[in-house]
Amino acid sequence: MNRALRRISIAVLVMFLLLLINVNYLQGFAPASLAGKQGNSRAFYAAQNQYERGSIVTADGVTIAASKLSSDSNDSIKYQRYYPQGPAYAPVTGYETIFSQTGIEGAENSLLSGNASALDVRKIIDLITGKTTKGATVEVTINSKAQEAAYNALKALGKPGGVVALNPKTGAILAMASYPSFDPSVLAVHDSKQLIASDNQLLRDPAQPLLNRALEGSYPPGSTFKIVTSSALLTQSPGTTINSNVDSPTQLTLPQTTHVLHNDQGEACGDGSGQAPLITAFAQSCDTTFGKIGMQLGAAALNTMAQKFGMNDESLTIPLTVAKSNYVIPPSQALTAFSAIGQYSDTVTPLQEAMFAAAIANGGTLMKPYLVQQVTASDLSTVQTTGQSALSQPVTSSVAGSVGQMMRAVVQDPNGTAFSFNAQAEGGLVIAGKTGTAETGQFSLNDAAFTCFAPYGNPDIAVGVIIQGGGYGASAAAPIAVQVIKAYLATLGNQ
Amino acid sequence: MLVFAFALVAFAFANVGFSLKGSLPSGVVEYLGPYVVIVLIAHLAMRRFAPWADPLLLPLATMLNGLGIVMTYRLAEQGNRLSAPLSSSATMIQVVYSAIGIGGFVAVLALIREPRVLQRYTYTLGAIGLLLVALPALLPASISEVYGAKIQIRLGTFTIQPEEFAKLALAASFAGYLVAKRDVLALAGRRVLGIDLPRARDLGPILLAWAASLLLLIFESDIGTSAVFMGLFVATLYIATSRTSWLLLGFVMFVAGAFAASKLVHHVGERFDIWLHPFTGQNPTHNAYQLVQGLYGMASGGLLGKGLGGGQPYITPLVQSDLVVSAFGEELGLAGVMAILLLYGLIVQRGLRTAMSVKDPYSKLLAGALSFMLALQVFVIVGGVTRLIPLTGITTPFLSQGGSSLVASWMLIAVLARLSDTARRPPPRPIQEEGLTQVVTIK
Repeated sequence: MNRALRRISIAVLVMFLLLLINVNYLQGFAPASLAGKQGNSRAFYAAQNQYERGSIVTADGVTIAASKLSSDSNDSIKYQRYYPQGPAYAPVTGYETIFSQTGIEGAENSLLSGNASALDVRKIIDLITGKTTKGATVEVTINSKAQEAAYNALKALGKPGGVVALNPKTGAILAMASYPSFDPSVLAVHDSKQLIASDNQLLRDPAQPLLNRALEGSYPPGSTFKIVTSSALLTQSPGTTINSNVDSPTQLTLPQTTHVLHNDQGEACGDGSGQAPLITAFAQSCDTTFGKIGMQLGAAALNTMAQKFGMNDESLTIPLTVAKSNYVIPPSQALTAFSAIGQYSDTVTPLQEAMFAAAIANGGTLMKPYLVQQVTASDLSTVQTTGQSALSQPVTSSVAGSVGQMMRAVVQDPNGTAFSFNAQAEGGLVIAGKTGTAETGQFSLNDAAFTCFAPYGNPDIAVGVIIQGGGYGASAAAPIAVQVIKAYLATLGNQ
Repeated sequence: MLVFAFALVAFAFANVGFSLKGSLPSGVVEYLGPYVVIVLIAHLAMRRFAPWADPLLLPLATMLNGLGIVMTYRLAEQGNRLSAPLSSSATMIQVVYSAIGIGGFVAVLALIREPRVLQRYTYTLGAIGLLLVALPALLPASISEVYGAKIQIRLGTFTIQPEEFAKLALAASFAGYLVAKRDVLALAGRRVLGIDLPRARDLGPILLAWAASLLLLIFESDIGTSAVFMGLFVATLYIATSRTSWLLLGFVMFVAGAFAASKLVHHVGERFDIWLHPFTGQNPTHNAYQLVQGLYGMASGGLLGKGLGGGQPYITPLVQSDLVVSAFGEELGLAGVMAILLLYGLIVQRGLRTAMSVKDPYSKLLAGALSFMLALQVFVIVGGVTRLIPLTGITTPFLSQGGSSLVASWMLIAVLARLSDTARRPPPRPIQEEGLTQVVTIK
């Protein structure tokens, strides 16, 4: 019997060895691959349990996301995330649920949670000095006055849309608003059932409150695209100036079609002679003029210029991902005419809309838009700062000056489409801009767009606004842009 | 050694408190105090009734049971709204179960002074074992069914899992029967295809008992325990007859049976699917959710673990009973799980050593069977949790929350202690000393 017992002992030994080897594999080698599996919520819990998540603050010191000790003592997660400013800043902060993060919460997750390797040395110092480790604080470039003006104006209008304001000299995003929005706090709850219910409610809402229109909404630019068409013209034919006469027929029959392109209400362009100075056609936003210019330049030239302004770029991150703004090369001359006036398949985000004006305002150099100013560790030392960098140079400074003058005429010239916001009406503030009104067929009213910069002499801010179903750019989008500009410039005056 | 076991348990307990609440937990006195007292009683009982018993057994069991109480406390203190938390009284109930378990330990030591006494009750124990296994299946589902398996008897708020005790009774019964018949089994019979088959009338009763228990278990949907029974039966038969052919036959029968069951019985097939493809399709969020969460937990523990109170074991369903090892893996890491496996390994090794050294064949067989059964149970559940084999719901001896398993485990330790006492007791001294031969010189 002892021989059998000895063999049984060996079998037992093998069983335990198998267990030990398997446990070694599972806990020694597999963790990395298991930790990344979808549905593994332990990673989130670990981040939440370990450290207090860092705050998100605006450039002028307003806290827009923070963590506090959970009031529920039975809560397995020590800290509760909350968003003091709610829906106005939701496109910036994003949200943080027990399953996922979006917005800055997602893009800067490792620094906010304190798990980034850049914070390792500080964690060890904290451990030695006995301080509680905290996640890093992320300072965004947002100016709270501009942001609130943008959101409140959108909310007052009550139509879906997005607003982005940029500092044209640096690329810093001063405001980024979307309407309708949501309160990220409702998604920060720790009760998974409650979370899923709230999430479903937001997802099913036909108003799409979770969509960040400022970055992810892509709409036809309408006549604001004439900035691109003009830039291409002035770049390609150095002899042309803003005062050169260009063909401006009242009606333009498109080649190989019976389709007739005419201006908005069928009105004449300029003095009705069939010729008008470029600046007049731009200020009045003559579709026939720019349709013809587009056909003369060709789709390839328009495409090149559109790309230099940042369109057709899938890789732009601020660090949030930005939807691609599209310029699609049309298959025919007739459609090229439409594409030159921002119709056909052209679509832009409100950010792209702001980038048009920003490039012109900054002497033809487009600065890369960015949202994160700097990240500071809990000991107030700087972990990272975003450097300014040029994204591209779509036009020379002289072309930019010319286009800028034309944009100025849109607002300041009595025949300009946005004359109601001239310097006299706005207390001496000279704004330069371009309106856009695009037929989409989706809404009873057209999509309204406006891109502008101010003050004209020394631009501090460039704004892009798109309102779905807003009607005319001048009446729906421009007033919002003007409110943002005034709110922002007022803060500069105080400094 | 007992003091060391206490110190370790107390340290783990304090660790939970500091981690969860930042202070020494208030329950130290009310939970650990009684535990120290009852284990001291067990120690004194062993000194009194089995003074030569293996000195390692009690400290090992104390340590495992203590860790089980700590984990229950940890899970009860930090509940979670994602899954049903343990009630706040769970820790005290676990201490009470430990007291009952140690009561069983002392009773076994006091009542069974000589292991061979059990041999007299071979058939009685067999009948009791079968009855205990059959009981939940015969009772209406309302008082016996839990999570689809009919393995409990519910008496008010109290539940008993009779199969935990049936294992002990059947082990003793198998051993008794096989000792009586082992020569006949090994020698008489025909040789078929190189395998010695015993006579049907010798093997009949035991095959009947085994088949009945297996069928009942399948009827009760409890695959893990049926595997343990099967292993217990085959191992005991092998130790008794030393015939390798039995081992092979048993193994082949079990694998073939399991394979057939996986094709025929739906929920057995489901277990195999969970085991082979836990991360595919709907499995991670549905059928395999428990296993997958257990694996995530162990993975997040890594080498050294999150520290007691630092992990999130409560995400895993039933972490307090079937998947308690994954909770230890998460919070104590690879190091902790290996230490726990080695604790079990040591108990099994002491048991097998006892089996080797004890003279009486019945004791030998019983010690071998019980040790192997403990090893197999650890293998089935830990292997299941770590995805070495399909996961089946059986308890982890000493660590799982719940009374029946704990009491049965303590009784098993008591029987091993009694057997080792018999093995290590020095031979009785002669009544009269012969004295030195006196050399008388006569002048």
